[in-house]
Amino acid sequence: MLKLNNIEVTYLNVIRVIHGVSMIVPDGQIVALLGGNGAGKSTTLKAISGLLHVEVGKVTDGSIYWDETRIDEKGAEDIGRLGIVQALEGRRIFGHLTAEENLLVGAFNRSNRGQVRDDMDMVYHYFPRLKDLRKNTAGYLSGGEQQMVVIGRAMMAAPKMMMLDEPSLGLAPMLVEEIYEIIKRFNREQKTSVLIVEQNVRVALSIADYGYVLENGRVVLDGSADFLKNNEDVKEFYMGLSATGAKKNYRELKHYKRRKRWL
Amino acid sequence: MADLLQYTITGITVGMVYSLIAMGFVLIWKSSGVANLALGQLVLLFSWFTYGMLAQTGLPVWLGLVVVVAFALLLGWIIERFVLRPLIAQPILSLIAVTLGMAYFIEGLCTFIWPWGVDVLPRLFPQDPIRIGTAVVSQEYLWAAGVSLLLFGALSLYFKYSRMGIAMRATADDQMAVQACGIPVTRIFSRSWMFACVMAAVGGILMSSIGGISYGLVETGMKSFSVVILGGLDSFLGAIIAGPIIGLAENLAGGYLTAYTWPGVKEIIPFIIIIIVMFIKPYGLFGESRIERI
Repeated sequence: MLKLNNIEVTYLNVIRVIHGVSMIVPDGQIVALLGGNGAGKSTTLKAISGLLHVEVGKVTDGSIYWDETRIDEKGAEDIGRLGIVQALEGRRIFGHLTAEENLLVGAFNRSNRGQVRDDMDMVYHYFPRLKDLRKNTAGYLSGGEQQMVVIGRAMMAAPKMMMLDEPSLGLAPMLVEEIYEIIKRFNREQKTSVLIVEQNVRVALSIADYGYVLENGRVVLDGSADFLKNNEDVKEFYMGLSATGAKKNYRELKHYKRRKRWL
Repeated sequence: MADLLQYTITGITVGMVYSLIAMGFVLIWKSSGVANLALGQLVLLFSWFTYGMLAQTGLPVWLGLVVVVAFALLLGWIIERFVLRPLIAQPILSLIAVTLGMAYFIEGLCTFIWPWGVDVLPRLFPQDPIRIGTAVVSQEYLWAAGVSLLLFGALSLYFKYSRMGIAMRATADDQMAVQACGIPVTRIFSRSWMFACVMAAVGGILMSSIGGISYGLVETGMKSFSVVILGGLDSFLGAIIAGPIIGLAENLAGGYLTAYTWPGVKEIIPFIIIIIVMFIKPYGLFGESRIERI
């Protein structure tokens, strides 16, 4: 179980972007972290995975626990070895490597070759399309295929928790559905907990068990996926639906903006 | 005509040694984005160190060479661990400046330990010259080419199939994503410095068994640097191909142009070629291999 206790994150010692975020990712569950641009979603993920120092950022207050281990002061490799793996935003594949080599990089820290083989087959089982493309240079794959490589690479680390940063970015809606379906199946079958950062609130809540809404570095709302899906504010501000649940009708648009209840 | 064949063979073989040293540069540049300006000085240091082991300490050749390689690995590790790692996340200029500082330090160290400055290595390769067609070539050149080819082969297998090799190539593509996979990039940096030092050491041994040890070896490093620029900073293939081009150019120019121009023409011809190539292909012959999907 992952637990964030009131963490603050500061970049370059002066720019504080997370002002006290607390959240829990229980074992085997899917948790969605939602919010607009600049809300601090990706920063929160990097705080967990230990990648902040690359951007000269630091967890300046609060603590992060993985089960009983405190991880907010550990480096990225140590955190990776604990079974937490992050797929970065924007399909960061290794363009000059083949798809299969990309997957092998994901399994870098594992020494049991037989198990790595088995997991490779498992990834091909979840993403059958990758099996045909495994000898292809990853840089020339399509966007959706690249996203599959990135998620598959995270799966190859045999993670206890997988963190995905905007897997839907720049993909066609059908592909987004397909990829989310696979994430959900992976979560159910492998009992891996998943933390998803997403702007596409509707699709994220369709598979998540629980969600947190982040704004300006603070958690403004949290609750079960069903609760969030039915919350008027979430509908209005994140799903583009009006109070009645129908698609917004711009002819009847009010000239004043609805106030967010959580402010 | 005999001359032409002669110049071609020596040019290509010496060029292959340049390629070898240049690959060490490319390796570090690709994995960590640091330009290693101490290349020539490392070549000099390793040549002197080999001299120290073989001529001064009098170790048997095989043991001496093993010690040299071990020293190269150790020095590579030390350089990464104590010179470059403290500078991670600092401006790139500091990283480059520190390699320049290291270059002068190493050169000074060599002058300090071996103040006479010029010497020859004990013979490592058989002496008898070999006739190829009309040309007579000393065996050292052919050995140099053979050893370089062997190392090229070994390295490409390593990068293609080993777990660490694949990870090193991945680091060249995206450092941050490699860290997100839980791979310690510092270990990859240190591995690439160790390899680069071994390549500089082997290159140094080959060059100094051809031409003796002198401060001219620093120029060999400079030549390798120009190989890198010609081939493209981030391309192994570029380094392998550009090496013989530079070697050929300087040998042919040395052979045919010296009579008409001035004695040092051999030294500057490679740079003239580079300037011309840079006008046409600013990223080098094989540089800028960024993959863009359109």
